[in-house]
Amino acid sequence: MSLIDAPMTPLNEVRKSPSRLRSLLSFLRKHPQAAIGFVILMFFVFVAIFGPYFAPYGEREQVGPIFGTPSSAHPLGLDDGGIDMLSLLIYGARVTLIVGFAGAVVAMVVGGAIGIISGYFGGKTDNALMRTTDYFLVLPDLVLMIVVASIWGRSLRNIIIIIGLIYWTFMARLIRSQVKVVRERAYVKRAQALGATHTRIIFKHVIPQIAPLLLAQTVLMVALAIFLETAISFLGLGDPSVTSWGKMIETAFSRSAISYGAWWAIAPPGIAVALVIMAFNMVGTAAEDSLNPRLKVSHLSRRHFRLRPLPDKEAPK
Amino acid sequence: MTVLAIEDLHVWFELPDGKELHAVQGIDLSLERGERLGLVGESGCGKTTAILAMMGLLPPTASAAGRILLDGEDILAGGDNTMRAHRWTDIAMVFQGAMNAFDPVKTIGSQIREPMQAAGLAKGKAARARTGELLELVGIAAERQDRYPHEFSGGMRQRAAIAMALACEPKVLLADEPTTALDVMVQAQILELLIRLTDELGLAMIMVTHDLPLVSQVCQRAAVMYAGRISEIGTTSELYHHPQHPYTRMLFRATPDLLAERDVISIPGSPPRLDQEIIGCPFRPRCDAAIDTCAIAYPPTRTAEPGHLSACFVEESA
Amino acid sequence: MRAGWSYVGRRALFALITIFIAISLNFVLFRLAPGDRTSALRCQGCTQEFKQQLRADFGLDKSVPEQYVIYLNQTVRGDFGRSFVTEQPVISELWQPIKNTLPMILLGTIISIMLGITTGVIAAWRRNTLADKGTVWGGLLFYSLPTQWLALMLILYLAGPLNLPTSDIADPYLAYSNAGAWAEFVDRLKHMILPAATIGLVLFGEYTLIVRSSMLEALGEDYILTARAKGLSNWEIITQHALRNSMLPIVTLVFLSLGFIFGGTILIETVFNYPGIGLQIYESVGNRDYPVLQGAFLLLTVVIILMNFLADLLYFKLDPRVTE
Repeated sequence: MSLIDAPMTPLNEVRKSPSRLRSLLSFLRKHPQAAIGFVILMFFVFVAIFGPYFAPYGEREQVGPIFGTPSSAHPLGLDDGGIDMLSLLIYGARVTLIVGFAGAVVAMVVGGAIGIISGYFGGKTDNALMRTTDYFLVLPDLVLMIVVASIWGRSLRNIIIIIGLIYWTFMARLIRSQVKVVRERAYVKRAQALGATHTRIIFKHVIPQIAPLLLAQTVLMVALAIFLETAISFLGLGDPSVTSWGKMIETAFSRSAISYGAWWAIAPPGIAVALVIMAFNMVGTAAEDSLNPRLKVSHLSRRHFRLRPLPDKEAPK
Repeated sequence: MTVLAIEDLHVWFELPDGKELHAVQGIDLSLERGERLGLVGESGCGKTTAILAMMGLLPPTASAAGRILLDGEDILAGGDNTMRAHRWTDIAMVFQGAMNAFDPVKTIGSQIREPMQAAGLAKGKAARARTGELLELVGIAAERQDRYPHEFSGGMRQRAAIAMALACEPKVLLADEPTTALDVMVQAQILELLIRLTDELGLAMIMVTHDLPLVSQVCQRAAVMYAGRISEIGTTSELYHHPQHPYTRMLFRATPDLLAERDVISIPGSPPRLDQEIIGCPFRPRCDAAIDTCAIAYPPTRTAEPGHLSACFVEESA
Repeated sequence: MRAGWSYVGRRALFALITIFIAISLNFVLFRLAPGDRTSALRCQGCTQEFKQQLRADFGLDKSVPEQYVIYLNQTVRGDFGRSFVTEQPVISELWQPIKNTLPMILLGTIISIMLGITTGVIAAWRRNTLADKGTVWGGLLFYSLPTQWLALMLILYLAGPLNLPTSDIADPYLAYSNAGAWAEFVDRLKHMILPAATIGLVLFGEYTLIVRSSMLEALGEDYILTARAKGLSNWEIITQHALRNSMLPIVTLVFLSLGFIFGGTILIETVFNYPGIGLQIYESVGNRDYPVLQGAFLLLTVVIILMNFLADLLYFKLDPRVTE
């Protein structure tokens, strides 16, 4: 689970941009992949926020037979309780995205804080923190999550905390290595020499420099969190009181949608999850690339240099 | 006997924005057997591009024109196909910064053997023995061929790179900044080694560097490049004592020299961009002797002495 | 080679410490559980007196440090307690499932590594061509698919046409019919294909993207230009130099994804009802069979730690600079 663990070279220095909106727009223009992902995300965020107002049927409203086939009234058919699948999908967006964002934010705050402290102060603190993350990295994440979830109980809050607590390590390591680079920069050294406090330096100089990377990583983390929400829900450890896409897959599976041949009960939530995760990954990797461009030109290519005729000798003037 | 002759070589690069960069704008060079020629200029003057063209190692965004004659045969005529046959077997290269020229996960010896095996010159035990000989030749114990690049010092890596270049007994050696990033003592040893090897093996060498005084120590002749063209070419002593082109003169002054006691004066400004056409002499904006004519056309080639040519409107008084 | 041995020693020490921490974490995690092992028990005969008796049997009436020492002692002897459900020792409960799981994930991982390396190398070599773009999008897609959902899709759309079984590990009738070892082997393989394909495809997405990017990184290195200058063929340059150097990040990745593989196994075995360690974990979650869950978690963690140690040794072989 570690596209985010790819080797990193130090970031380019971030300059103050005239406007955040404008820099977002120019980023999206330069990276069509990110632009597509961004549009998909905006669509799902819209659905998550306003979906319940335009969902055709209720979240628990039985409107037809069990596993009713898709029809014009129910384009995605009905689920095992005769509930409209399209409506469920719309309601599920909210929970899925909340878990994704909240889990990623917990990981970002915990991991970011630890990464910054570790990278900025270095020394023994750094060593201890890095050893700890070493241990966390080898733990099987989902298995640990299952253990914790089955002990702590099934609730949305617990899932968010668990996701955050398991993934802070990835964040901490990346942020730490970048903070180490920033720490050595001239203006940080100067601020230190001028007697600025550590808090001030961290907030005025370090955080603005690593913020874009932090953001890019958080975006990637959301994808991871959503992935895990579906896994945890699938294993029956999700919050029983709410509808999420992960839970929809689980219900379809446990109520034998396959034996009914009810593909419409299984396929749509999975496609929705895949689309959202892919969109987050598209935006996140593009952001990462633009922060950390690998400009190396390949020395090996199928094509070779071309020959051309000699240019005309310019007539003597 | 001329081993390598370059006639009217041009190289262009396609740029991502659709423009074209005319990196080498028609250069002529010739190289005798056993001769050492320096190719000198600031970064971006086209000197590295020129020797990459001689190796046929230009990137796919490049196009080339002109002739590269090896023993009279035009090896550029068929593009990559004709160049490939002569790579390393006839023309070999010592790359800039030998640190990265070696693959970090393979032994030095295996990397020296690779070209022999690729060319079908030696295999197995014979290749190993030959690798040992080559290393001894550059002053490295034969047993060290099983060591990895990171176990060698910078100077030793550069020696090994020279040994690697000699693997297929080439006729021409191209050395791209062979001594940059090395400390002065090691630099001197490497230069001495190159001089000794070319003399002993009758190897012709083109050494690319930005350091004109260094070329004067090593090479019999030097070509000074500016903005993709040769601005002056001649024997190193002619260039040193009677520089014809203001750029040559300024280059000498811009490099610290232990022998001449004088101040180092850097050349103001920077070389022109080559993605647009330059009218007049490209050096004019930085030149201290420019006259009105310089703005109109590229200067014609003038012969100061037989074999000493320069492209400048202004007559330099010797 | 002294530096080499000190490297191996350091990695071995790290593995040992990690195992110790995992064992301790396991203790702490289950101590944090609301109530204790006995309160999860729900049975007719489970009276207060019986539970009290059980608590004494489990040593739960002792102080926490004492319990910890007892626990450590038992764990080192391979005693993880008994399953609440079958009352069998946990270790024997886990043995058969892990034997069932290993060939399946091995097959899946091999599929994904081979597929990932082939497509990743081609994509890097033919950068910006259709093959490259297809690989990147395909990789991103498979990387984004929820494992359990992909498994369900394979059952829906692939199992029928290919006539593959979608449940269990072997045909129960085959054992009675004396079909012979070969028929049994084929049957086992058939049951293994879809689960293995699922894990293979999910991993493939990640692998191909990483192989591609590390190949691109390697192809930009100066030694590639040197190799070209030396007259090596493209095939030689790719296999001998670029891929050889890319193996370092690839090996790291494969071993780092072990935790993910085991996680995926739980989902996949649940879908395919494949009697491996994953299904065992799933069932013990449902049954609140904490000793089995605890044992499985510890077992998987230790396997991962040992495999990571193996990766360190492999790294030592692959990268001569590693002792620096």
